[in-house]
Amino acid sequence: MEDIAQNLGLFFNYALPLLVLMTAYFIGSVIEKRHFASIREREDNAHGFPVVSFDTMPDDWNASSSDLVTGSIVISLDYFKRVIAGLRGLVGGRIKTYEPLLERARREALLRMTESAREQGFDAIFNVRLETSRLANASRDGKGTAGVEMLAFGTAVKLRNRPG
Amino acid sequence: MKYVARKAREGINVSDVHPLAEAATLVAGLTALFLAIALLLIFFIEIVLYFVPAEAEARLFTGWMPEDVVVADSANEQRQATQVLLDRLAGHWADAPYKFRVEIDESATANAMALPGGLIVVTQGLLDQVESENELAFVLGHELGHFRNRDHLRALGRGIVISMFFAVITGNDVAGLGIKATDLTLRGFNRKQESRADEFALALVNARYGHVNQASRLFDRWDEQGTGASQLMTYLSTHPHPRDRARKLSEIAYRDGWRTDGDITPLSWSTK
Repeated sequence: MEDIAQNLGLFFNYALPLLVLMTAYFIGSVIEKRHFASIREREDNAHGFPVVSFDTMPDDWNASSSDLVTGSIVISLDYFKRVIAGLRGLVGGRIKTYEPLLERARREALLRMTESAREQGFDAIFNVRLETSRLANASRDGKGTAGVEMLAFGTAVKLRNRPG
Repeated sequence: MKYVARKAREGINVSDVHPLAEAATLVAGLTALFLAIALLLIFFIEIVLYFVPAEAEARLFTGWMPEDVVVADSANEQRQATQVLLDRLAGHWADAPYKFRVEIDESATANAMALPGGLIVVTQGLLDQVESENELAFVLGHELGHFRNRDHLRALGRGIVISMFFAVITGNDVAGLGIKATDLTLRGFNRKQESRADEFALALVNARYGHVNQASRLFDRWDEQGTGASQLMTYLSTHPHPRDRARKLSEIAYRDGWRTDGDITPLSWSTK
């Protein structure tokens, strides 16, 4: 009986976290790979739709109507990325496991904004901005990070003339 | 201004490093770093030991007790009898720098610990298992041997180092750490420290009783019974195997020409 208890203790202390870590890595990388594939495909579809960051509308655009468009995504860290980032936090440097995550968030937010504008029949977006906010994790007194929201927004316009 | 649509360029914001390679680099690097720091600290402990004499240690730790030891009542008959035995044994250690005191922890797992300042903690589980004064004398003598070689301070130092290590890893507050006896005993001593303590214990037992008969009988019994596998595992992680230990002890007795027969002194509390 004691042996079983001790083996269970070993399992919960060492094997389980390692198993969770490995599972998180495999599931996390499959999701990331698929997400990037989806992003690339949709970016190809949206190719040619002008999305610019000028804060005023370019002179040669002749707008008939305009509206605010937004696209946002809330994305979470997986356990593996979190652990590796934790280790990185001890010595400093680029948190390389977070970089693809935020890259995905930025491109996805821009894509959602663009797709929303196209669905509403707009022809272009200017004054595009990106905002990030951290979602606090309530379970740890707000110290933990539950995820990150990436918000893309801009002014979408319908044009009388096609730009370019 | 002409608008030219371009495809998004990849690889600008994302480092071209495989996450597993990043993980491997970090784990290997940090392990090496912590090992180096731990070695340095262990070396530092040796230096401190050299400069802090046992007398100063005894003064510093007077009345100290690790926070997780559940001490039995000090008027306890077993504690008093054990203290008397300890004093007699220590009497055979000329110029011992400590005033030894013994406390009984209520834990049921058989164990004994040497702690800073001449404190010996014996568990109730051990007292329940010893069958004669000679057996108990050997256990106490063994702990006295750790004091003589100052192994207990090395274990304390290592315990602190390892606790600090885990505090850094888990992000706990280093300042809030208390010293726990379980930390110290789990870190244990190495085999060499153990056999030196055994040898010293046997010499004390011989000086006290004029023979070493049944001094190591506790270990013989553990060996024969085969104490519960998990208990044995815990015990083996910090001690030599009981069989090797008993054999080594009879070799020492033979080498030094000590008698291995003689009257066994019963435990004072079991004679009533």
